[in-house]
Amino acid sequence: MEKKKFKMKRTNASQAPVPVRRKGLMRRWFSGIPLLGWFSGILVAVLLEHFLGDALTEVLGLPKIPVLFGFVTMLKKPALMPGSLVFIVLVYLIPVAVTARLGASAANAVAARLIRRSVGLSAGIHLLLLYACLHIWADVSAYRVLTLKLTLIAVMLTLSLNVINGYMGEFSCSHPGFMAVGAYVCSVFTVGLFVNDRIFGQALLPPFLAPYFFPVALILGGSAAAAAALFVAIPSFRTRGDYLAIISLAFMFIVKSVIENLEIIGGPRGLGSQPDLAGLPAVFVWTVLCVWIINNFVRSTLGKALNAVRDDELAAEAMTVNTRRTKMTAFLFAAFWAGVAGGLFAHVLRYVNPGTFGIQRLAEVLAMVYFGGLNSVYGSILGAVGLNLLGEALRPLELFKWILIPLLLILVMIFRPKGLIAFKEFDPKRVLMPRFRSE
Amino acid sequence: MRKGMIFVVVCMAMGLISTPSAWSKTKPIKIGINAPITGDIPKVGEGTKFAAQMWLEDVMADGGLTIGGKKYPVELVIEDNEAKAESAVKVATKMITEDEILVMVGPQASKQAVPAGEVANNYKTPMISPWSTNPDTTKERPYVFRACFLDPFQGPVIANFIKEEFNFKKAAVLYDVASDYPKGLAEFFKKAWEDLNGPGSVVAFESFTTKDTDFSSQLTKIKQSGAEFIFTPQYYNEVALIVQQAHELGFKAPIVGSDSWGSAETVKLCGKDCYGLFFSTHYAAAGAKGETKKFIDRYKEKHGYVPDDVAALTWDAMRLVETALVNCGKITGKIEKDRQCLRDALAKVKDFNGITGKMTFTEEGDPIKCAVVVRISEKGEFEFYKSVCP
Repeated sequence: MEKKKFKMKRTNASQAPVPVRRKGLMRRWFSGIPLLGWFSGILVAVLLEHFLGDALTEVLGLPKIPVLFGFVTMLKKPALMPGSLVFIVLVYLIPVAVTARLGASAANAVAARLIRRSVGLSAGIHLLLLYACLHIWADVSAYRVLTLKLTLIAVMLTLSLNVINGYMGEFSCSHPGFMAVGAYVCSVFTVGLFVNDRIFGQALLPPFLAPYFFPVALILGGSAAAAAALFVAIPSFRTRGDYLAIISLAFMFIVKSVIENLEIIGGPRGLGSQPDLAGLPAVFVWTVLCVWIINNFVRSTLGKALNAVRDDELAAEAMTVNTRRTKMTAFLFAAFWAGVAGGLFAHVLRYVNPGTFGIQRLAEVLAMVYFGGLNSVYGSILGAVGLNLLGEALRPLELFKWILIPLLLILVMIFRPKGLIAFKEFDPKRVLMPRFRSE
Repeated sequence: MRKGMIFVVVCMAMGLISTPSAWSKTKPIKIGINAPITGDIPKVGEGTKFAAQMWLEDVMADGGLTIGGKKYPVELVIEDNEAKAESAVKVATKMITEDEILVMVGPQASKQAVPAGEVANNYKTPMISPWSTNPDTTKERPYVFRACFLDPFQGPVIANFIKEEFNFKKAAVLYDVASDYPKGLAEFFKKAWEDLNGPGSVVAFESFTTKDTDFSSQLTKIKQSGAEFIFTPQYYNEVALIVQQAHELGFKAPIVGSDSWGSAETVKLCGKDCYGLFFSTHYAAAGAKGETKKFIDRYKEKHGYVPDDVAALTWDAMRLVETALVNCGKITGKIEKDRQCLRDALAKVKDFNGITGKMTFTEEGDPIKCAVVVRISEKGEFEFYKSVCP
């Protein structure tokens, strides 16, 4: 760590002469804006898009509101590029910047008052505001809703893998397996109870009860995944590094094979017709729960024990860290959230098949973890959101997408070997604090 | 900073200038192509894309589609689904809600077509999957159609053909247990064969897992079971290995396959070992006549290889869309109304003359059509041998 800090300082200094003035200007302009200010800025932008977007697209000659910040439109039809850019600038950049800047002092006052009242209240209001932003933004198009839901699920998945691969420093490859277990158990529960299906027969309960049972189904799926995680957790007592990677990889294949051979849940054909339960609010609430609980977990004593096991298992053992218990907890805990993510995934797509939980999914999740940054909640969120949106935005490039994204990963690994935001603690209180102008 | 400002201002000006031109023309008819251009099966995506583009060329050479006496320009919205279920769903949602397509052709493989069909049906948008054989794709989905026959039909076709052609009694089956299509077809074949020859007539029912490359233990078992032929509904890469290994073990009897053999790669990988073998499929490239031949020649000239069944089925799907659009009579410009009209027209299609055979849709959106039995000739070409109709 010491060395890294030093290095970063040096690069900053060597780059100093040219960009510093511009950066200084931007920084001065945007310093002292609390999170609340940014959120209200975004809220204004999405409201603007919601009410004036259609009129503006008509004026600019765009066929529709640019769905993912204009990326898709620009790549598909370069002729529409200026229009899309104008749209982005008018609807997003200017309103966000202006609202955030002008409202900064008011937002600071409110943020300070809120945080004095209680951190929980402040966090709740921030989350409500964030949800409002996402909801209004996604309301414009069903495609945005779907992308957002899958991105949030990817955040859960990445974060839960980060607990093992980042915080505990083991290389586990079993995450798609946990996800599959969660997805299938959760689907069997909901399909069996609420859907007239040719495998499980008549619905046992009326469908209006389904939303109330959905959390139960998800917890059940998560618990089943956690139980399955014992198969990886127990060998992890004696193996580390490459060997554990192989064992966990084997676990993933075992899960896939088992599902393929279980005719009752569809075998390789997959399991469909899950009830439509995973709306945006449900996915958002579960993601927030996941981030909150995992963040608390890794900042607790047990979480610090994970880091101790990562840095030196023997030393940790000598310092009274119960390494077995630590590993067991970490695996079961991470698997639980992977299972919940799997359950949500199955209900967003309303179809699962074992082929989905193979080596490709593993590569995706690992890429998100290492791209975003090890040992960091920020990193996982950034990695999952970044790679998901990038993958979506670059889709029109077809084959070149698979050159660009890996290239980006290579560059990240060269210049920031531990990921974009690694080893950074996520402290909600500090994030919610009012900011005062520096300089 | 100043440069950035200038850039933004220039963009704004250009945006405003380029505005009005798009308004005067008739709105084009948009057709979505949901294809696996990258991922596990890029060749399938390529065939889909090429066939669809060839169709578009034809239409645009006429100056657009003539519907109810008015010409409409056509636009293809081709998107890559990466051969992944969730991407296929994303692409379908995007096409339907963002691009406002009238009809979607694809996805091809069942694992993408089943969830994407759900999306299409929810948004009341017609969809034709040219290649998906899973019954769930169209089941209870009035807006979803397919252009190929189903496995429950193909199984008996092969069983009947072998019975008539060779009068064999003992069958062996070798299939991939982890893959949806081979497993389903193997089971349908087994059932059909046992209906014909009585229980126990399938003397060996051996399986392996995707990406296995050594089949000697299964083949030895099959050889010892005294089977008179092997039925193996596998994809081209496995077909080559299975046939070659069977011959190395001294198994001389015929090996029979299904439509998954119908790729140009089969003969390339398998070589002389595959000459003289039979498989059932959607169409035969060698010895084709009329429209089919015209399609094959054009495709070959343009892209340098004989189109496989995916391309032919996609072509038929595009032509089905065209027929339905013309039958629909008029395009109102209201997307919901036009989609409904198109769906109704598709459901009413009768005796459509496709290059993969005549088609009539059933209630479920599955076509009733004939299968073709193909023999791999001594030149390595797929020769038409026999047509089997339901």
